[in-house]
Amino acid sequence: MIRFDRVSKTYKGTVAALRDVTVDIRRGEFVFIVGPSGSGKTTFLRLITKEERADEGEIWVAGKEVGELPPWKVPYLRRNIGCVFQDYRLLPDRSVYDNVAFALEVIGRSRHFVRSQVPQILELVGLGGKMDRKPNELSGGEQQRVAVARAFVNRPLILLADEPTGNLDPATTAGIMRLLERINQYGTTVVMATHQHDVVDAMRKRVIELDHGTVVRDQARGIYGMVDA
Amino acid sequence: MAIPSPYVLRETGSNLVRNIVMTVAAVVTMAVSLTALGGVLIMRQAVNQATVQYQHGVEMIIFMQATASQQEISGMHQELVSMVPSQINRCFYVDKAQAWSEFKQIFSGEPDMVKVMDVQKMPPSFRCVPARAQSVSVLAAKFQQQAGVLDVKYPGQAIKEELARFATLRNVALVVAGGVMLGAIALVVNTIQLAIFARRREVAVMKLVGATNWFIRVPFMLEGLTEGLVGAVIAFAVTYFARNTLASFTGSNPFIPSLPLYVSPHAALLTGVFVVVVGALVGALGSGFAVRRFLSV
Repeated sequence: MIRFDRVSKTYKGTVAALRDVTVDIRRGEFVFIVGPSGSGKTTFLRLITKEERADEGEIWVAGKEVGELPPWKVPYLRRNIGCVFQDYRLLPDRSVYDNVAFALEVIGRSRHFVRSQVPQILELVGLGGKMDRKPNELSGGEQQRVAVARAFVNRPLILLADEPTGNLDPATTAGIMRLLERINQYGTTVVMATHQHDVVDAMRKRVIELDHGTVVRDQARGIYGMVDA
Repeated sequence: MAIPSPYVLRETGSNLVRNIVMTVAAVVTMAVSLTALGGVLIMRQAVNQATVQYQHGVEMIIFMQATASQQEISGMHQELVSMVPSQINRCFYVDKAQAWSEFKQIFSGEPDMVKVMDVQKMPPSFRCVPARAQSVSVLAAKFQQQAGVLDVKYPGQAIKEELARFATLRNVALVVAGGVMLGAIALVVNTIQLAIFARRREVAVMKLVGATNWFIRVPFMLEGLTEGLVGAVIAFAVTYFARNTLASFTGSNPFIPSLPLYVSPHAALLTGVFVVVVGALVGALGSGFAVRRFLSV
């Protein structure tokens, strides 16, 4: 589903963000990208959506080599990828329902499709009763659920989450993690960048650890820290 | 590329209303500029129409009597031919039918006058370009005496004054139109830039979820197009309904001073359509520039 083949990326005038990264994520996997700030986690995710270009190497997403993709095809790549961020990125002047519907409207989905999908997905994330609220009337955890609903409403093949629980307390975090796990069970490949030990340790999923842009560990059913054998 | 979707129309509408002050400024300047442009075209049409008999360098017209015989006409023709090229550069003949259609054009603003005339009452004429402008009065006096001649006209000075007046007005109006147009383009670009800034969050989300570049751009481009179009429609209305006032800025008919310059509704309509097309183009290009410049997708 996602394959990095000897990928390197350097931002102008700074040290390498990613160095010679080779990773293969299969369909339906749940993967944590861990590492301290500046280790290249966000760059890793932004390369998948082609918000950044790799300097070297090839990146394959859903069967396409991203580097070869002409600019006009990038939007179609992104329709296969849902994104969730630490800061939610909701539209403050639109209701919960409209925030989620917006994601479908702007890719030209029919009104009928929007009306049938949005309530369903909001029910799934547990906000069926708060469709008319504005984002600022919701708690952080609820706002993140809206963001997850927006990312998932188009049933993407891949869900990328960049520190999605970074602003949330442990109980709310657990709720979001259960939601992501559930989405993963529908067959969506989930890639989540985080630096929270407890989150990673509780899930026992595959862990890819980055340090200064290099993969230092790739472990199935791992925990955050290195385990001494 | 679902262009006229309700989404796109709604977004365009709300963009226009959100920045109402900027929108009005852009529309008004656009209208002023296009009115100046349309005014020039209207004046040109009026002047052309009034001086239609004296185009292509014609400086002297020998009007034959409406009742002149065929011999008188061909005699005159041979005499004129014999004077080429020493005294006359060239001459051409305008028969009754051509004179009638010309008459109707010149007096299209005076239907009563057209009503009392008909093709048989029209004088055929010879339109001449003299070899030397100074000799026109001598030539005219000579032909005036001949059989079958109704009158010889050489209104050189009046026409030159009319055309000079028009040229001055045209240059002033074109400079104004051009200058104000630059302002209008700047305002359109700025309005679109503000709209893009006001909607940066939406734009970010749209890119994130895979909206196509065109889908993101079209509402902004339609906004600029609308501004151009509305400005142009105002200019259209002004040039159309005030066409005779605009025409009178260049003076009155050089031959019949009591007759104001006149532009037919048909000609004014064509001018108006041209103005609307220019407005739409400028609006679309201005917003297209703004979108390319400020909306990286």
